[in-house]
Amino acid sequence: MKNKKHTEKRQNPFTVIVQKEISDQVRSLRFLILLAIIVLTCTGAMYTALTNIAGSVKPNDPEGSFFFLKLFTISDGTMPSFLVFITFLGPVLGICMGFDAINSERNRGTLSFMLAQPIPRDYLINAKFTAAFIVISILLFALGFLTTGLGLIIVGIPPTVDEFFRIVLFLLIACVYVAFWLNLSILLSVQCKQAATSALAAIAIWLFFSVFYNMLVNLIAKGIAPSEFASANQMVYFQRFVLDLLRVDPAHLFNEATSALLIPSVRSLGPLTMEQMVGSLPTPLSLGQSLAVVWPQLTGLIAATVICFALSYVSFMRREIRSR
Amino acid sequence: MSMRNTNFIFLLVFLTAFTLSANEAVNSEKLTKLYTPFTKISIPPGESMNFSIDLINNSDEKLTTDIFVSGLPRSWEYSLKSGNWTINQLSVLPAEKKSVSLNVKVPHQVNKGNYPFRVIAQGCDTLQLNINVSEQGSSKSEFTCDQINMQGNSKSTFTYNAVLRNQTSEEQLYALTAESPRGWTVNFKPDYKQATSVNVTANATKNVTIEVVPPATVAAGTYKIPLRASTSSTSAELTIEAVITGTYTVELTTPRGLLSSNLTAGENKQIELEVKNTGSAELKDIKLSASSPVDWSVTFQPAQIERLNAGESVRVIASVKASSKAIVGDYVTRMEAKTPEATSTAEFRISVKASLLAGWLGVFIIVIALGGVYFLFRKYGRR
Repeated sequence: MKNKKHTEKRQNPFTVIVQKEISDQVRSLRFLILLAIIVLTCTGAMYTALTNIAGSVKPNDPEGSFFFLKLFTISDGTMPSFLVFITFLGPVLGICMGFDAINSERNRGTLSFMLAQPIPRDYLINAKFTAAFIVISILLFALGFLTTGLGLIIVGIPPTVDEFFRIVLFLLIACVYVAFWLNLSILLSVQCKQAATSALAAIAIWLFFSVFYNMLVNLIAKGIAPSEFASANQMVYFQRFVLDLLRVDPAHLFNEATSALLIPSVRSLGPLTMEQMVGSLPTPLSLGQSLAVVWPQLTGLIAATVICFALSYVSFMRREIRSR
Repeated sequence: MSMRNTNFIFLLVFLTAFTLSANEAVNSEKLTKLYTPFTKISIPPGESMNFSIDLINNSDEKLTTDIFVSGLPRSWEYSLKSGNWTINQLSVLPAEKKSVSLNVKVPHQVNKGNYPFRVIAQGCDTLQLNINVSEQGSSKSEFTCDQINMQGNSKSTFTYNAVLRNQTSEEQLYALTAESPRGWTVNFKPDYKQATSVNVTANATKNVTIEVVPPATVAAGTYKIPLRASTSSTSAELTIEAVITGTYTVELTTPRGLLSSNLTAGENKQIELEVKNTGSAELKDIKLSASSPVDWSVTFQPAQIERLNAGESVRVIASVKASSKAIVGDYVTRMEAKTPEATSTAEFRISVKASLLAGWLGVFIIVIALGGVYFLFRKYGRR
């Protein structure tokens, strides 16, 4: 920690570290650049959504009553939607906030100085995570509510209670998703001695999942694809297997979870047979049922985030810290 | 010439005058004739007849005579006219004839038979005429219908075509009334327009259409409806018959009318149904069936209703089992109550809910992960 000073008020040392971390993050140029990128892209997404929202309402649309949610999902193809931007830029945000959390302190020699203070050792890594998570949450909620507010002003139709809770849930899931990447990068910052190495490693993982993983899955799918004349059962099992492979990618989990929340007529995330569709009505689901549909994805995301944190915690606690 | 001669001349003149006057009387008897070609005519009551009678003067002198009709019954009307004038006396020049028109009107109320009468030219001739009334006359009205019995169900409209005949000699305004049972609607439509009274000129007929609508809840059976067309002086009655066959209507619903339900995939749910006989006849062997999505099963308890009286209803329990592969959301299940006579379907909207098991499993996994972190805090924290 830079410029560590004793505060006059007698506060919990953990709170002090968190506050200090937040102010460091917010004042850093890196954060400002990131903030500018995200705000600009989201404004762009907002603009495309607002210019296309009139055309997106079709007669007899089962989602007609969920007009407001379209602000987050529609685009005309020139610019991705808000949802896609969060999927894409969320990991970058998380990685930027955490890739140098531990190793830069260590390299600067402030880590041993910090730990010389009479505070428990795990306060440091907990505070690092908490501060970054608070900043990310505030940022995402601010963006989400900015979009909602602008949409409200321009469209003039207020969201229903159900829509509002869907938006809040979407933002919460986005926070968890970004927190996963944050934890991953903190883990790497504990493991790697150089900040550049951990940043590269984190970006490599992100690139692998966002670009190469899909290719790899496609390759595997092509290899094991059953013949055209295979039975329906085989086809279903094959599709399910490919989907399970894709679900290793946290971005895919996030996509599935948020699309079911923001598009209430999504009834299932897996492959469907015609038998399951016979007699079904194209009606939107209630919020509780939508949540039930995406619950496995949510569980996966939360569990992955928690596991990443646990790993970095253990690894940090076991690390030998010496002064330079 | 002497006195005697004078007397002779006087006598002669007297005799001649006497003879002449006697001759004149005889001549006017013989030389004046009343003539008409049709002396015996048959006509029905209510009709009138024109006799054209000629008075022929074959004498050398102008003839003036009273002319009148004698022997007609008092209620009969007649008129003697010539040249549009009613006449009592007629004058005819020598060797000429004059036409007189006698119009006799036979009243409606007259007995069948032969009615002789005479036309008399006073001091000249008498013409004997006969009118034969061919039918028995009356003062009645008649209300008749060719087809007084009709059959239909409780929803049909019965249409009868009746004829109202005014056989009196006067124009009559008939009030049309029906003594229908309660709940029945009877409409009179003379000339196809609904009315409560109808005007019929003397000895004329009018077609009256009668529309009868039974009440919706009428029981099967034969119903007689007396109809009456009456005026202050005359009336006619007609009784029509409507034979109601039973209607067969069945309705499938739920006791509260709620046609939606929800269940979890793979689970069983019991829905209470109500089968109502809304028709007017007893229904037999009502079978219950359902068309549901694939791999769903719907069973009814009981699956068949032996008999259901009109107006009654019976409760049926349908147990719906959703396919274990059903996806979350709404499905349609169509249930049907069927007899050979009537069917009724009810579409149920069944919402499939996500199984709570998966949800709790997810919560469990998250709790384990958080528990692991807590364990790490306990193990490594405060060091």
